Amino acid sequence: MNRRIRAVLRKELKSEMRAKNGLVTTILFSIFTVVTIAMATYDQPLSPQIASGLLSVALLFAAIVALPRTMLLEEEQGTGDLLRLVAEPQDVFWGKAIYNLGLMLTTGLVLSVLFLGFTGTPLAIPWLYCLCLLGSCCAFTGAVTLCGALVAQASNRTALVGVLSVPLLLPLTFLAVSGLRVAFDMKGGFNVMNGVIAGVGLVCYGFASLAGGPYLFSAVWKR
Amino acid sequence: MRYLFALAVGAVTFWSFTVPDAIGFQYPELARIFLWHFPCPMIATVLLFMGAWFSYRYNVTKDLTWDIRAVASMEICYLFCILTMLTGILFSQAQWGAWWQNDPRQTSFLLVLLIYAAYFALRGALSDEQRRATNSAVYALAALLPVLFLIFVFPRLPQIQSFHPSDSVMSGKIKGQYAYAVTSICAIFTVLTVWIYRMRVTAGLLEYASENTQNGYLDSDGGDSADSRVVRPVRIPRES
Repeated sequence: MNRRIRAVLRKELKSEMRAKNGLVTTILFSIFTVVTIAMATYDQPLSPQIASGLLSVALLFAAIVALPRTMLLEEEQGTGDLLRLVAEPQDVFWGKAIYNLGLMLTTGLVLSVLFLGFTGTPLAIPWLYCLCLLGSCCAFTGAVTLCGALVAQASNRTALVGVLSVPLLLPLTFLAVSGLRVAFDMKGGFNVMNGVIAGVGLVCYGFASLAGGPYLFSAVWKR
Repeated sequence: MRYLFALAVGAVTFWSFTVPDAIGFQYPELARIFLWHFPCPMIATVLLFMGAWFSYRYNVTKDLTWDIRAVASMEICYLFCILTMLTGILFSQAQWGAWWQNDPRQTSFLLVLLIYAAYFALRGALSDEQRRATNSAVYALAALLPVLFLIFVFPRLPQIQSFHPSDSVMSGKIKGQYAYAVTSICAIFTVLTVWIYRMRVTAGLLEYASENTQNGYLDSDGGDSADSRVVRPVRIPRES
């Protein structure tokens, strides 16, 4: 990681530590989501399919709430042009993507702990669960960071970022459901290999989106 | 040529109603919508790749004529995606008894529609034409990976069970007069697509040229003003 990427990352962390808006928002969102799920299911035990679907949807919407802020705030606060002057686009992308990845992993961890605790869903294959969670976080980070940059200078950007991101992330959500349901399945009804393929697919997509992201971001992030 | 084409469309339409019922469908007499459904996703996919290619060319050259071509491809692709969904829904009701089956193939194509609806929403939200072209080109390229997954990978995953067959052509299930009718309708749709695409691109280039004219390409310096009634010829780039 070169010093420019570290500088952008340090800027993001310092901004976040000053106000803690992003962290508080995502943690509160996670709590509200899990409580809502527990209430809506009347505390009934969830099947692996339902549990994986609910958790994946919660992760998806947590990503859309939390991740685009790094890009949108730059334009709203008027600091985007300063960043364009002092840093290369690739460095800006990597700095923000690494920050977003950390935020997404934190959100995923909080959401997982709350979800597994409130719903009492048992974990059959913990390593597969971790693989799917890590892959989802990487994949969501790459796609939503880029979508945030695409809408940063648009009108109604807050609503538009959701409109842009959700269709791109739905295929990943499907992969996450495929993997997580195997991880939750105590009775061995699902083929473990399919779950592993889904988890590996998520990780690969995450690498692909993070690898291609800087080049696409460079085209968008211009003076 | 147009009259010839209209005659061909009429002949193929008539043929599609008189082709003997195909075997292999649950209700063969209600399966003719398949003849019109089958070419739509193929043409939509080709246009999708064209749109992505033109978007890449715009990103490299920053020439707005590539953006015009990309938008034309995407618009016609979207039209064919809608036709695919509509004909698929009719087929689903006729053969499987429900308008919407939550079938993976139906759902995946609906997601493709949503992705490209977002493309047009993004274009509508940006007023500056260069930024609009750049951002929509980047989105089209970023969307390529999930769209490829949805069209080619998702319906063929081992854990997916779909009513929708994925090997009708490769396994030779479409044969005889049905195959000839499908091929003819594919040819008709291809000619129609090319025709609409060329018209759309020409309209886009004319619009681009007229906007550039109004922005002052014909402005003259102060003190040596040209007569405002003089109209100089404007070179309109042609679609090659």
